[in-house]
Amino acid sequence: MLEVEAVVRRFGDLTAVDGISFEIAPGETYGLLGPNGAGKTTTISMIAGLLAADSGAVRVLGEQMGPSRVAGKRHIGLVPQDLAIYPELKGRENMNFFGRLQGLGGKELATRVDEVLDLVGLTDRAGDPAKEYSGGMKRRLNIGIGLLHRPTLLILDEPTVGVDPQSRNAILESVEALSGEGMAVLYTTHYMEEAERLCDRIGIVDSGQLQAEGTRDELIRLIGGLDRVRLDGSGDLAAAADALGGLAAVEQVDADRTGLSLAVRDAPTAVAELVTRATAAGVTLADVEITRPNLEQVFLHLTGKALRD
Amino acid sequence: MRQLWVMTTSDLRQRIRDKSVIIFSLIVPLALMFVFNLVFGGTDEIELEPVTVAVSAPADDEVAGTLVEAITGTGVIDVTVEQMSAGTARTAVADGEVNLAMIVPDGFGQDVLSGTGGALEFVEGDTSGLETGVVIVVSQSVLDAYAAGTVAATAGGGLGLNPEELGRVAQEAATAGPTIDTVAGQTSDEQLGPGASLVAGQAGLFLTFTVGFGVLGLIAERQEGTLARLQSMPMRPGLIVLAKALTGFILGVVATSVLLTLGGLFFDVSFGPLALVGLLILSVVTAITSLTFIVVRLARTAEQAGIIQSILAMVLGISGGAFFPVSASGALARVLDLNPIAAFTRGLGITSGGGGLADLAAPIAIMLGFAVVMLVVARLIPDRGVSR
Repeated sequence: MLEVEAVVRRFGDLTAVDGISFEIAPGETYGLLGPNGAGKTTTISMIAGLLAADSGAVRVLGEQMGPSRVAGKRHIGLVPQDLAIYPELKGRENMNFFGRLQGLGGKELATRVDEVLDLVGLTDRAGDPAKEYSGGMKRRLNIGIGLLHRPTLLILDEPTVGVDPQSRNAILESVEALSGEGMAVLYTTHYMEEAERLCDRIGIVDSGQLQAEGTRDELIRLIGGLDRVRLDGSGDLAAAADALGGLAAVEQVDADRTGLSLAVRDAPTAVAELVTRATAAGVTLADVEITRPNLEQVFLHLTGKALRD
Repeated sequence: MRQLWVMTTSDLRQRIRDKSVIIFSLIVPLALMFVFNLVFGGTDEIELEPVTVAVSAPADDEVAGTLVEAITGTGVIDVTVEQMSAGTARTAVADGEVNLAMIVPDGFGQDVLSGTGGALEFVEGDTSGLETGVVIVVSQSVLDAYAAGTVAATAGGGLGLNPEELGRVAQEAATAGPTIDTVAGQTSDEQLGPGASLVAGQAGLFLTFTVGFGVLGLIAERQEGTLARLQSMPMRPGLIVLAKALTGFILGVVATSVLLTLGGLFFDVSFGPLALVGLLILSVVTAITSLTFIVVRLARTAEQAGIIQSILAMVLGISGGAFFPVSASGALARVLDLNPIAAFTRGLGITSGGGGLADLAAPIAIMLGFAVVMLVVARLIPDRGVSR
């Protein structure tokens, strides 16, 4: 579907993108994570054909992408980070305008606009100027415009920035539904939980380079992350610590006055055995808590920065 | 072509809806035309008020009689003469009962005729003004004529003429009419009248702002994010710029046409044949639209674009005579001639004076040449707005 091959883009002395490569398969949602200035937007601009790469290549369904390459652009739907809508135009007029530029017309356009308005929940407000919409409604209109021509690759550049929780959830559900229908999605975000929820694979970008790539679990394994398990309770905690320390999944166990803290591989699988052994060793458990390493920690490990820096 | 038209019509719809184009392109220039016309336009239609002049003169003074005849017979100002003594005349002026006092001393006429000079006293008061100034100037011209007669008589005496002949020469010199006539003629072919100049200049000045609603809209779209979406559409990027230019061009043609039409109606001005005026409008809009391509290259933000645009508008407008006629000589005159707004105004002067298409060749060549040069320069300037 999308092939990005060692693309490089320079602005004067600054190399904004330095040899990034990745691919996206049909129906796959790929997350591009990186701090501000990492090169995400420049990468997206090259994929969407807004900028030409100094070297390397971007292909969508085999079509070369670039500012003057028209054929490849038919396959993509770009949802820019900024609200790319015209406030003076009504919601339906915005969709009609961009739909016509995508080559739609007549009955096909009218039908498709109705469908997308329904999909993004704006049918009732389609006749109002976009400038009268709430922030969430504008975001939904922004996304809807990118869907009009049924693109095979949807590019979403931080689509939930500044959106209320309700609209945000609606947007995430829409993306999940589109992915379920076979649309490939390239998604950038500052919100780790969005990446974890939506993305099949994630690429971490920093200083213009792809630092790591893989599924969530693959990325966590990359930094050797262990799950943390906390067993709160009373009784013979020292004996329980000895018993649990002998299990293959347990790397480390510490007892304190209120319970046990363990470093464990694959905690969801091991937790039942841990509870059984602790109870057998004479501990009365009051609470069990599992903390798994997340992408935030991976990100911090790889880039030395928090995602929102 | 379909995409070009879709973008252009959408742009036009938005410009009309936000009303800024109507305000800046039509309402403001029309309002300014009226203001400037009020401030500068009335000077050629001054109505002189009647004046009363107190005259104190010896009853048998021939020159004084000639002066009174002259000031009451100008035909441009209604002068009432009241004879009174010198003291009463001064008091009457001080009290505002008369506008001017003319005090002719005893023996003044004799002194003038003999060439020995003499002093004529005028007393102005609070009610004096332009009209009394006219009376004084008329009186001065009469005395100048007498002085000329005296000079002629003196010259004749030097040549040995007898006293009778000298008197005749002096009288003829003093009373002879001017030998050089000045005739009020038509305005020359390339010069618009004050009202027409004002309309044409303001239309040209605000054209710079009007066409800015087209190409300069690219900068706003770049800032707002819609440009990125447009560039991701399956069309050549040049079409986006072309659509903006077409929007500015259409707005410019419509606004200039409306301004010339309304300005012509309001100020009773005719610019000549519609076809030729239309050709001038198309040429000047092309020239000014080309300028916006440079602005869009230089400016990073809409604010910067607005500032650059305003500077260019003022420079071109003022040097093009939008507020008052500008004259220069030498190299500066040739540079000013290349200003498309000046060329536009000059072209309208030609059409309003009855000139034809051939007469318009120079101004049209200047405007279209300006457009070509601006487009070439715009191609050479790096786009400062491109960023990561």
